[in-house]
Amino acid sequence: MEKENIVELKNISVAFDGEQVLDGLNLEIKDKEFITLLGPSGCGKTTTLRLIAGFLEPDSGDVLFGGEKINGVPAYKRQVNTIFQRYALFPHLNVYENIAFGLRVKKRPEKEIKEKVAEMLRLVNLTGLEKRHIDTLSGGQQQRVAIARAIANHPKVLLLDEPLAALDLKLRKDMQKELKKIQEQLGITFIFVTHDQEEALTMSDRVVVMDGGKIQQVGSPQDIYNEPQNAFVADFIGESNIVDGKMLRDYYVEFSGQKFDCLDKGFNENELVDVVVRPEDVDIVSPEKGMLKGQVTSVAFLGVHYEIIVDIGGFKWMIQTTDEHFVGDNVGLFIEPDAIHIMKKSEYSGLYGDYSSYSEEMDEMNEMAEEAAE
Amino acid sequence: MKTSLGKRLLNAPCAVWSAIFIIVPLFIVLYYTFLDKDGGFTLSNIYELAQYKGVFITSIIYALVATAICLLLAYPFAYFLTKTSVSSQKMMVLLVMLPMWMNLLIKTYSWTVILDNNGVLNRLLNLIGFGSVKLMGTPGAVILGMVYDYIPYMILPIYTTISKIDNSLLEAAEDLGSNAFSKLKRVVLPLSLPGVLSGITMVFVPSISTFYISQKLGNGMILLVGDIIETQFKIPNYPLGASMSLVLMIFIIISIAIMNKFGDSDSGGVMI
Repeated sequence: MEKENIVELKNISVAFDGEQVLDGLNLEIKDKEFITLLGPSGCGKTTTLRLIAGFLEPDSGDVLFGGEKINGVPAYKRQVNTIFQRYALFPHLNVYENIAFGLRVKKRPEKEIKEKVAEMLRLVNLTGLEKRHIDTLSGGQQQRVAIARAIANHPKVLLLDEPLAALDLKLRKDMQKELKKIQEQLGITFIFVTHDQEEALTMSDRVVVMDGGKIQQVGSPQDIYNEPQNAFVADFIGESNIVDGKMLRDYYVEFSGQKFDCLDKGFNENELVDVVVRPEDVDIVSPEKGMLKGQVTSVAFLGVHYEIIVDIGGFKWMIQTTDEHFVGDNVGLFIEPDAIHIMKKSEYSGLYGDYSSYSEEMDEMNEMAEEAAE
Repeated sequence: MKTSLGKRLLNAPCAVWSAIFIIVPLFIVLYYTFLDKDGGFTLSNIYELAQYKGVFITSIIYALVATAICLLLAYPFAYFLTKTSVSSQKMMVLLVMLPMWMNLLIKTYSWTVILDNNGVLNRLLNLIGFGSVKLMGTPGAVILGMVYDYIPYMILPIYTTISKIDNSLLEAAEDLGSNAFSKLKRVVLPLSLPGVLSGITMVFVPSISTFYISQKLGNGMILLVGDIIETQFKIPNYPLGASMSLVLMIFIIISIAIMNKFGDSDSGGVMI
């Protein structure tokens, strides 16, 4: 049974001071799903959330809620609630009054408010803290109050703007599980914004990867990870070696000067493509047995595995393996056909996937240092 | 922990200053309060104050009315000011502060030029055929003077506290169903309370002790505590003047204490 769309964004464009923040965005969000907007800062994910909340109106395009256009409907009339990045709890009210805020605004009877707040406090495990002042709470407790305050109003859609960003790693993992549990328990739609790809993959039914005000890919976490549509998605979700390749024919690709069997088809003969190989899918073997040959240039021990950088004809590959290797070793790489994923060329081709360094910023710094040395 | 010699030396000028200009004068006031005509101890100056009960009450009423008007004008002004662009906020704050840099006597005196029987306002009224209205020497003129002189001290602390309110709190309130009015009532008002309280204090205190405004704009028809105190020191009847000052001071201290009790001491604002 196909679920209905609860929120639809149609051809949305938003610009701030002449800068295009969202560019012709289309998105359908299904009822009761956990959907995550994922992207680097400035990609437009928070702007998208604010459009749905009603804090922002699109320059063009429509926002639909339950099939009805809600452009121009003020935030306080929308059946959505938001959990803000820094929680935005009311400092002049205690825990109880914070959670009761929405109900008081709606003039619900005192008895109902009391029951509802008690129920919410149970849901987020804060029973007993009713009278506490907001600034005496820990970050995690404040987070829970924010959740309780939002869902006490029975929203049809809950918007979460990087709600876990301020928590430390372990607490964040606990809260991820708890949010997921709450979402399943209440059966409401969660629209979650984050720049943390791991968070997106663990929590979501569907992930929307955004960059530059555009949606790059929408799909299940598995789809996004295993079948990235372009170099941006491949690089942003997990680690990827992305090399230039040429599709010789269906199921047969050439890259790094070698020819490989693969599982992809549907490209033109000799079409230039981006080839993605995940670091964990590469085996390091002896140089004679390797399909590609190179030299180890760096080894880092990360606990679960080693992260090894291998220089193959000037291109730095990242390989994750549990076997130890040493800098200077000559090694061969062995790649199974199902480890190779082929993508069409895009505007992002050539920007990502070489592990000379991990970030663009580092690349720029290196370039500047080289220039200075000349 | 022992304070180092250097720190104590740094503190010394401040201590000397407050000793000479605050503590000592207070004791002088106290001394004169209980001084009789022959230089002995007496309580008669305090008893004598009973006949000025009416003046004290008038002063309190005038100060309360002026403070209330200031609050009613300043709050909406400050609130809507925070909604305008940053550049116009800066401009308006400057305009509000501008009169504060001018001498109070000059500002008050300027009003006599406007309100006088042959003043600017009455000439204007005559011109359009309304005839003269007696403005000087009325309670309205005195209140006007107080409001005009002290309203910046109400606007600024309120403006500061409102503009410090995190915008995400307003969005949160809206998100939870608050329309503009409910946002104002449930979030902006309670969070700007410290500013309101310090504004009230900063207007009420000078209003209750003023003498120049009532003299100039009241034409001597309206007597406030400040006027009586001034007269006593001119006569001179130092003991009576001192005892009135002392009572006024105690009253002000009690009012400030009550105000501070209202606002949570930790909630910021500009307390004097």
